[in-house]
Amino acid sequence: MAGPMEQFVIKPIIPIEVGGVDLSFTNSSLYMLLAVVVSSLILGLCLTKRTLVPNVAQSFPECIYEFISGLIKENIGAEGLKYFSFIFCVFLFVAFGNLLGLFPYSFTFTSHLTAVGTLSLLALALNIFVGIKKKKWGWLRTFLPRGIPAVMSVLIIPIEIVSFLSKPFSLSVRLAANMTVGHVMLKIIAGFVVGLGAFGFVPLVFDALIVCFEMFISLLQAFIYTVLTCIYLSDAMHEH
Amino acid sequence: MPQLDFSVFPSQFFWLVINFALMLIIMSRFIIPKTAEMINLRKEKIDGDLEKAAEIKKQVEATIEKYNEALALANSKANISLQKTRDELKETINRRQADLITRLNAEIEAGEEKIASSKAKALQKIEEASADLAVEVLGKLGFSGIKVKDAKNALESIKKEQL
Repeated sequence: MAGPMEQFVIKPIIPIEVGGVDLSFTNSSLYMLLAVVVSSLILGLCLTKRTLVPNVAQSFPECIYEFISGLIKENIGAEGLKYFSFIFCVFLFVAFGNLLGLFPYSFTFTSHLTAVGTLSLLALALNIFVGIKKKKWGWLRTFLPRGIPAVMSVLIIPIEIVSFLSKPFSLSVRLAANMTVGHVMLKIIAGFVVGLGAFGFVPLVFDALIVCFEMFISLLQAFIYTVLTCIYLSDAMHEH
Repeated sequence: MPQLDFSVFPSQFFWLVINFALMLIIMSRFIIPKTAEMINLRKEKIDGDLEKAAEIKKQVEATIEKYNEALALANSKANISLQKTRDELKETINRRQADLITRLNAEIEAGEEKIASSKAKALQKIEEASADLAVEVLGKLGFSGIKVKDAKNALESIKKEQL
């Protein structure tokens, strides 16, 4: 039987190499694309018959819209709505990535630090872009808050730089670790289903319950990831 | 651990950027505007309805105020009319009462006069009868020659003494 970590192995589907760099379309890339296609299709289909009084299907994208809008207003303020599309996509991308990974024989790209890390780097890039756009040179104050004595700056600046750069890292590790652990646990318990023979139904029921729990975790982690992205963006927009 | 396989890092990075950009385009071009449009339309409709409701409420309040004003005016008019009728009735009653009193007084006065004259006539007749009776009694007692006129004078003098 395959080990619990084998489900995370990245396998190339369409090998692509550009300038000696491997950019193959892998199973991870496929599930990223699926997250985009499935989320777009579901939301798009829900919005086919739009009415002033929403039906159940129409309420689904509207609820997500209102939820993200509320999240941005709460954590950044009304000015943060300029970056609504980005935050909306971050939530959906992570949520659908997590949920699609729960299907048997599927792949969870959010369990890979590189995938989630890239998303966090995009959030960091937006953070820097917004900070510089809003505060100009004053953005550098992020690394040296007001009221700090000049002598202390030698110590404070490196700490602040490390703190600033560690934000996307912590953001990624939290999500990737949660997803990895959840899937490893599912795989291990699934192994007992076969191993215990006639009594295999016990771990099977337990596994089914964990799948339900993982669905909740998937959405919760997407929510946490989105909230933290909002908070980092808020730091860039407001005074430190 | 497959997560630490550095050989797949460029591919992961590249395809995530591509897919996320694709999602950003689809969502910001199609899904978000469609969703926002309905939410904003609904908000506008609700705001419009609320405004209309507030306007109707204002109109109703103005109508109620007008009604109350008209009611107060009608009340005051009715009160004035009632007071006027009451005064007129009072005046009529007083006038009629006064007329009745005057008439009754006149009738009482006339009655009293009538009674007085009847009384005087009766007394005069009694006096004449008394004088005649006295003359007759005295005649029977043997005092003849006493005239009725003397008896009348005697009675007059007794009356004066009594007074």
